[in-house]
Amino acid sequence: MISASSSSASSSRKKKMKQAESKWRTAAQERIYRRRLLEALRATASGAGPRAVKEAADSALALTARGQSQWSRAILLGRCRPRRKLLLKAGGKVRRGRRRPRPAAPVPVAAAAPAPAGKKVRDRLRVLGRLVPGCRQLSAPNLLEEAADYVAALEMQVKAMRALADALSAASLNAAAAGEAESNVV
Amino acid sequence: MEPGGSSGVGSGNSGTYTPEIAESLRFEEEIQSLIHQSFDGSSAAGGSFTALLGLPANQAVELLHHPGPGEPPASAASSSPTAGDLWRLRLGEHHAATDALRLPFGGSSTFVERAARFSVFATDDSPASSSGGGLSPGLKAEPPDSDSPPTLPAPAGRPRRPSKRKECEKSKAKAVAKKSKSAEENTSAAKPAAEENTSGDKLPYVHVRARRGQATDSHSLAERARREKINARMKLLQDLVPGCSKITGTALVLDEIINHVQSLQRQVEFLSMKLAAVNPRIDFSGLDHILSAECGPLAVGSGCGGGASGTAMWASDTAASTGGIRRMPPPQQIWHLDLVHPQQSSTVWENNGAAHPHFLLSPAISLVGYDPAGSVPLNSNQLKMEL
Repeated sequence: MISASSSSASSSRKKKMKQAESKWRTAAQERIYRRRLLEALRATASGAGPRAVKEAADSALALTARGQSQWSRAILLGRCRPRRKLLLKAGGKVRRGRRRPRPAAPVPVAAAAPAPAGKKVRDRLRVLGRLVPGCRQLSAPNLLEEAADYVAALEMQVKAMRALADALSAASLNAAAAGEAESNVV
Repeated sequence: MEPGGSSGVGSGNSGTYTPEIAESLRFEEEIQSLIHQSFDGSSAAGGSFTALLGLPANQAVELLHHPGPGEPPASAASSSPTAGDLWRLRLGEHHAATDALRLPFGGSSTFVERAARFSVFATDDSPASSSGGGLSPGLKAEPPDSDSPPTLPAPAGRPRRPSKRKECEKSKAKAVAKKSKSAEENTSAAKPAAEENTSGDKLPYVHVRARRGQATDSHSLAERARREKINARMKLLQDLVPGCSKITGTALVLDEIINHVQSLQRQVEFLSMKLAAVNPRIDFSGLDHILSAECGPLAVGSGCGGGASGTAMWASDTAASTGGIRRMPPPQQIWHLDLVHPQQSSTVWENNGAAHPHFLLSPAISLVGYDPAGSVPLNSNQLKMEL
């Protein structure tokens, strides 16, 4: 999926940066997400309400992220019913596979940001941590990285959902009009 | 300053400045003419006298200390119009300039004196007067202030050749124990550029220099590295969020980012409401087998080729199966038409004739649970127009 962008020989940080953007901008990713979105929509009971649709869309987005980012893991794990056990189990397993396991959650923000150490900046960072799902107790550089990934993913989600909504509404409008015309004709 | 045509290569240091100023101007013209004439290739690299003549003092110094393959003549030529300014900028460093110039040109002391005087007189009058008198003794007796030559080229040449100058500067700076005030501010100014280089390129030297009065312990160094990481991530975010590149200041940028994230989330909510409104009228059973069929052909095509390969598959499908099973990726197709390939869609419609609109439409119609048999031609026209 992300093979092209991640096979660069530069430093790991540059690799991560490149991944954050180019990963979500490719058309392949968008198609994958659209498919997942449709599946998720199908799975929701019709007439269940907009909240279920939104949850389905977010889960599909997190799935497309493949659990490589903190927020995606948080979304996916948040949806599971048996939360506690599965959280620890799946979270630990995934994390050990991908990154270094963090034994204790670091002190939020303060420990890692001496330069942006203004009170305003720290407040903003905390707000940002609340906005991005699952990133409250994250240090500043990680939080910023997650935020970048999240923003790119959100943009793709909005694009896909808008297209889907337009297409579906156009189709339904058409069908309705055609149906009326037909009934009139008949 | 009078533009002068005064003759006489004046070697006498009279009290008045006008002949010297005129001479300085003439000297500059000489330099410029020399540059434009003979400065095409590696004359700078050769380190010849005429080549050095063509350079302003600081660049000559740099070349002398670090004879790399040609301080590019382009840069020298570009700096020549500003040679006059550069002369003026070298307030405190004319000593070192003349000192450096002295090194290869043991015999041409007259030129050196002249150059020194011009650098002096290009600056303010008052320091020039005092230093002009003391210049000639200062020439020989000047202690080799090896710090200022590296710092000389540093601020001027920084935008052009960071890596080379950094090497030169670091090699010099490591040797010197004491730093003067001007050297300090130069190095502190050049240090961020140098640090950028350490984090960016792979240079042989990885010495990190601390400013004067700052501890060189691991803490501050690690702190600085961490800060750089954070700044790099912030820059990435700034690029991602539209309209953030103009804003300076971390707090405001973060504000913008937060606003953008909130607006995106609100859009998602709004769109989900819209989808929920459309959903009840959708027959998902129809979507079911369409999607399951779609997964196969879709795995083959890539993003841009999706449309083209899709059409090929439709053609084969029409040949293989009847209209009963619709093996189209219909929502995909609609989306492609919407966003990615509007032109391609029209050509596709043209090429495949009646069969294609049928396929295109059937999923849409099946989505709303309609019997496609009767209403195909009518709907095809309508959809074509809309999409």
